[in-house]
Amino acid sequence: MSVEEQLIEYAKQGKLLTHKCTDCGYLHLSTAYYCLKCGSKGFEDVLLEGTGVIATYTIITVAPAGFEKYTPYAFVVLQLDDTHLRISGFMAGIASPADLPVGTRAKITGFDDRGIIIEKQ
Amino acid sequence: MTLVEKVCVLGAGSTKYGKLAESIADITTQASVSAIESAGIDPKDIKASYISNVFGVADKQVHLGPVLMSRLGIPDKPSLTIESACGSGSVSFREAYANVAAGFYDCLVVTGVEKVTHTGTEWTTTYFAYCSDFFYEGQAGASFPGLFASMARAYLTEFDATEEDFARVAVKNHENGILNPKAHIQKKITIDDVMNSPVVASPLKLYDCCPFSDGASSVILCSEKFAKENGGNYIEVIGSGRGGSPAALQGREHLTTIPSTKIASEAAYKMAGITTKDIDFAEVHDCFTIAEIIDTEDLGFFEKGKGVQAVREGRTRLNADISINPSGGLKSKGHPIGATGVGQVVEVFDQLTGNAGERTVKDAKIGLTHNFGATGASCAVHIFQSV
Repeated sequence: MSVEEQLIEYAKQGKLLTHKCTDCGYLHLSTAYYCLKCGSKGFEDVLLEGTGVIATYTIITVAPAGFEKYTPYAFVVLQLDDTHLRISGFMAGIASPADLPVGTRAKITGFDDRGIIIEKQ
Repeated sequence: MTLVEKVCVLGAGSTKYGKLAESIADITTQASVSAIESAGIDPKDIKASYISNVFGVADKQVHLGPVLMSRLGIPDKPSLTIESACGSGSVSFREAYANVAAGFYDCLVVTGVEKVTHTGTEWTTTYFAYCSDFFYEGQAGASFPGLFASMARAYLTEFDATEEDFARVAVKNHENGILNPKAHIQKKITIDDVMNSPVVASPLKLYDCCPFSDGASSVILCSEKFAKENGGNYIEVIGSGRGGSPAALQGREHLTTIPSTKIASEAAYKMAGITTKDIDFAEVHDCFTIAEIIDTEDLGFFEKGKGVQAVREGRTRLNADISINPSGGLKSKGHPIGATGVGQVVEVFDQLTGNAGERTVKDAKIGLTHNFGATGASCAVHIFQSV
């Protein structure tokens, strides 16, 4: 399986696959092939729960093709718990900023034709 | 690094930006011919071309270089087409600059072009999203307005700013664009107009967004020796810098800073031996109102979080403290994405050679261009001086 396929398989189980550098310990999303900090190529897999808080988001009303039927929806950036890492994804059913204050707790819950799915916790 | 040659801009020209009826090959040629005539050279003086374009496929013409060279009567000369999303024009300019500076060519044509308005909003929204880190962003329904809206939300959360402040950027750039006969949208707007326009991606509204535009821009780039022998007006390129940022917003340390702008501008200032205080005006990448505020901070004109205050106080208006986007910027002049970075150089050439008409920045000697691709994943900054 490619790195994207692996990430997708775990996302479908509500988990996030990450790569920890075996030389310096820096944590990356699993699509990284070389360490951002030390340049090393050695990684070990670390599985995260995919939970965190909304770092930022937008509510999209003019959508790309295939997403019209979901509008309005949110594209969110999730700050993951206990790490510097963030991950972005699709969140359904958000119509107004009042529905999703920055800092709201959320979690990866799946992956489908809308990419990584994130839901409020 | 030792440069063999000083590099100059000898001529410049653009088509009007907006909805154009002619083909992509036609407008590419029109802009190039106007640059050639502005420079007062013969096409046979041109040794190569650099073309910037993203969606040629939308008008059934990729590999534009040979088409342009054939129409200019110099089909034997080499050409190269460059894609770097919305930053294609400045990246292409940089590659052309490097080739003249290294002594490979003494005279080049650099032309940027885009032709997309006939495809409609859904096509452009969909295809432009392919410029993001698609696995993480476009695939999850992020549009480009959506990505900049995410930065805008982060800015509103972190700093003392309001959506009305963003609207002021649009109002200012439209004020300038009215004075630019080639601008796509020549229309005076108010803060209320922006606030009452339809939401595209909250908190950004239609008038926070630049339009999808057709258009082509072209400059003649040459060695100083060539410029002097040719006679006529020219300006000198005194600084050139490039930089990169993590492709996806999620990978950036700060959601309200574009690292590539800082890296590229610091390199350009160092090469030019100047500071921000020496710059009289800047054409910056205002694809969305929030982008201009972030740009002016990352370029070092204002502290982080203070760019919004500068806009509120009118310090970036034409002939105020520093004129930002005297052309009207992407917001009002328009954003034919492959042409934009070259079009900024056309504006600087017009400003520094006394051809900017009513939007002239008074006593300007040094101008800066700042253009990036996607959410600033790729960026180039250039600094120019009148001669």
